[in-house]
Amino acid sequence: MFAQTQEYSLAEEDKLFTKVENVQILTTTGDNIKLSALYEREPVILALIFTRCTGVCSPLIRNLQDNLARLRPKEQFKILVVSFDSADKPTDMENYQKMLNVYADNKWIFGVTENILDLTGSVGFYPQWDSVSRQFEHDALLVGINGNGYIVKKLLGIRNDNSLNGLIKAISNEFVISYPLPRKNALFTCFTYDPITGERKLSLGLLILLIPAVGTIILLFLISRRKKGNTAL
Amino acid sequence: MNLSLKRITSTWIITILLLFFTAIILGITMRFNQGKVISIDDGRFYGIMTTHGLTMVAIWAVAGMVGVHYLLNRYLKIGAGLSVFAFVMTVIGVVMFYISTFLGNFHAGWTFLYPLPFLNSFAWASWATPLFFWSLAVLGVGWLVWSVGLLVAIFKEYSLSETFAWQHLSKKEPKVQTPPLVLISAISLVGVVLCLLTAVVILILSFAELYSDGKFVNDPLLMKNLIYFFGHTIANESLYLGLAIVYELLPEISGRPKYKTTWYVSLGWNFTLLFVLTAYFHHLYMDFVQPLGLQMFGQFASYFASIPSAVVTIISIIVLLYGHRIKWSITNLLFFIGITGWIIGGIGALIDSTISNNIFLHNTLWVPAHFHTYNALGNVLLILGFFTWAANEFSGSNTDPMRKLKLALIIIGGFGFVLMFYCGGAESIPRRYSVYPAEFTRGAMFAAAAAWFAIAYLLGMLLIFVDIFKKCTKVFSSSH
Amino acid sequence: MKGQELVLALFLVCAVAISLISYMIYRSTKHAAEEGEGIKNPLQKRFYFLLLWGGVLIILMSVTIPKSPYFMYKDSNPEKVVKVEAMQYAFIMSDETDNASIEVPAGKMVEFRVTSMDVTHGFAIYNPKHELVTQTQAMPGYVNRLRWVFDEPGKYDILCTEFCGIGHATQTGSMRGEFIVK
Repeated sequence: MFAQTQEYSLAEEDKLFTKVENVQILTTTGDNIKLSALYEREPVILALIFTRCTGVCSPLIRNLQDNLARLRPKEQFKILVVSFDSADKPTDMENYQKMLNVYADNKWIFGVTENILDLTGSVGFYPQWDSVSRQFEHDALLVGINGNGYIVKKLLGIRNDNSLNGLIKAISNEFVISYPLPRKNALFTCFTYDPITGERKLSLGLLILLIPAVGTIILLFLISRRKKGNTAL
Repeated sequence: MNLSLKRITSTWIITILLLFFTAIILGITMRFNQGKVISIDDGRFYGIMTTHGLTMVAIWAVAGMVGVHYLLNRYLKIGAGLSVFAFVMTVIGVVMFYISTFLGNFHAGWTFLYPLPFLNSFAWASWATPLFFWSLAVLGVGWLVWSVGLLVAIFKEYSLSETFAWQHLSKKEPKVQTPPLVLISAISLVGVVLCLLTAVVILILSFAELYSDGKFVNDPLLMKNLIYFFGHTIANESLYLGLAIVYELLPEISGRPKYKTTWYVSLGWNFTLLFVLTAYFHHLYMDFVQPLGLQMFGQFASYFASIPSAVVTIISIIVLLYGHRIKWSITNLLFFIGITGWIIGGIGALIDSTISNNIFLHNTLWVPAHFHTYNALGNVLLILGFFTWAANEFSGSNTDPMRKLKLALIIIGGFGFVLMFYCGGAESIPRRYSVYPAEFTRGAMFAAAAAWFAIAYLLGMLLIFVDIFKKCTKVFSSSH
Repeated sequence: MKGQELVLALFLVCAVAISLISYMIYRSTKHAAEEGEGIKNPLQKRFYFLLLWGGVLIILMSVTIPKSPYFMYKDSNPEKVVKVEAMQYAFIMSDETDNASIEVPAGKMVEFRVTSMDVTHGFAIYNPKHELVTQTQAMPGYVNRLRWVFDEPGKYDILCTEFCGIGHATQTGSMRGEFIVK
């Protein structure tokens, strides 16, 4: 009869404040550089995808692109999209970038690495190959890496601008004193936090806080009477 | 005043005081356990803690309602029916609640902070949680009907703007005078209705989780906001109902002219409603996830709630009394000591509602220090003043035996008791601990001393009760 | 003087002053003439009191609000981050090392990222003298970030300050954790 506790995922807390593996990245523009060469210049949001993906990869990138266009953050950073599929070559990534039409502001860098497992292991990302569907089973993941190479924030799932704002602040070393964890089942929360739809709306929880006040005001008007006659107040 | 109303008021007075003594004894048991004078099972301790807390909050909230219901009959007509209904529901609710704690061993604290009631980990009977929530529902229905009924009765006599004394805000002499009792009772009752509607929301959300088998779960932050809004507001509105009684009775008992509502009384009390409803944020200062604006507003509202209290009520009382020949009796002495206790408790509260202090005071013994001051030395005494006055009214006798002894026991016992809490808070001893960790070397000493002071306080209360009981029971044998 | 001592002293001074004033008011009623005048110009006195008390509150607010934990150390980076998961009835603490105990550097800013696995707990840090230095709530579903600089080296205890069930504090022990400041 009793409800179970909510299940909160601590997967986003895994690997936080550890250093990302400083792997070699081969970009679509032909540069062969260490990851540190990127993050030491500007913090990096790392997105892990593969070009054969028929699942969350494209929605992840598209959602990120749309939300950044809406947010227009003033902070400086780069988005590094790296494939975790050893079959992907720089030309595959270039075609992928063209397909998604992602070129905004030179913020985006697409590339591959030979040290896939070192990179994915250091950020706590563990895709599973399914030979039947010929797809990797994996989470949609964004990893925030600050200017010192530390993983400062991770976002699992397709997220809305509130969460992305938090990610951008984190990699820019701006302090956000508290944040919610992803969870299941909660219908009424103070903060909108739906990782699946990424919808931004006024949370029902905040409206619930107002119900008693609104109810009381309505009740008062129903049970009271207005002043009769023309005496001034 | 109608006989049925006198009788139900008498019944309330006696019942409230008996429950008060029960709750004090539970509290003394807790302090003796913390003082290592006795040793009780931990689950039992926390069950006692839960029972003590909810009993005290409940009885002093209804006591205020009893008082204003009785006194409002001087200005409007409200029969005994509502009071009787609320009494029956309160008794049923309290019995259900006591079964959940004493038999079921439910012990989530009177604040039942989510999700603790749902995570009993076999520490209490599985039926105790729903029974606890249903007991709150029963209590809530009784009190909501009563408070709405009182407001309906007020609105039969006064319009909305007259009830809130807005006509006093203008420079012209108003055609309708709103008595302070009506203004303050109405403002307090609006706050009570708000709390109870919040309790309805909490209960709906809780029952949804209880009976949905895991499909519906609540958000801890939302529930904490709702629970603390309810708890903070009901405790404060209880105090304001007590003040409404003081405004009405203090002048006549002291032989001074009645209070009249003026523009600053109207303004002050209308602002009080706003501040009391937003001050609750001070319970969530250490929840960093709460929006920053609400935290800041919490400190502002907590601070500025003291302005109407000090500038209007306290100064009005000083002006009434200072330099005038006053007829002192147990009633107005209790009012006077209660107001003093309220002010002192207010200083403790102001200190804790400062965010930069809350960092090291939150959930230490400083918290029970200030709210026990507000209650045991504040509101309880205000209401007790009403009880002694009512007892005299009902019996036609105004004997005042052993006044000095009673008050000495209450003052020494009460102030000694809360002082032990303040000292414990200053030593960072955490609250709601059945025993204190060894590193708090003076914790047990403070607790044991507090228990002895509380016994002195209880003795003073018992002496007052004996007189009240004899006088109140006369109303059952009289015919008018 | 540490915060706790200061507030207790302030409180006691105020409590004694209020009690004395109360007593004075009471005494004035015993010795008043039959037609005693009482306080003259009460409305004017109310106004002055409003200015005085309002002024005191505004000064207190402006001095204390900047010291709120929400603004502390927000512009610097922590030297060390410790993750804390509170549960009935222990604090599971982890950092990037595999050491058995948690060590944080003295005199440098440290961050605790605090959440709970079950009910709301309190995460209160006590220095080696058993004085509460700072705290936050451990609420399930949220991570609260507590930043502090520990100047005094030694063993710091963590106690739960939010009632969390039967194991919160018991005859045989209470929910606690610890770390070392070196």
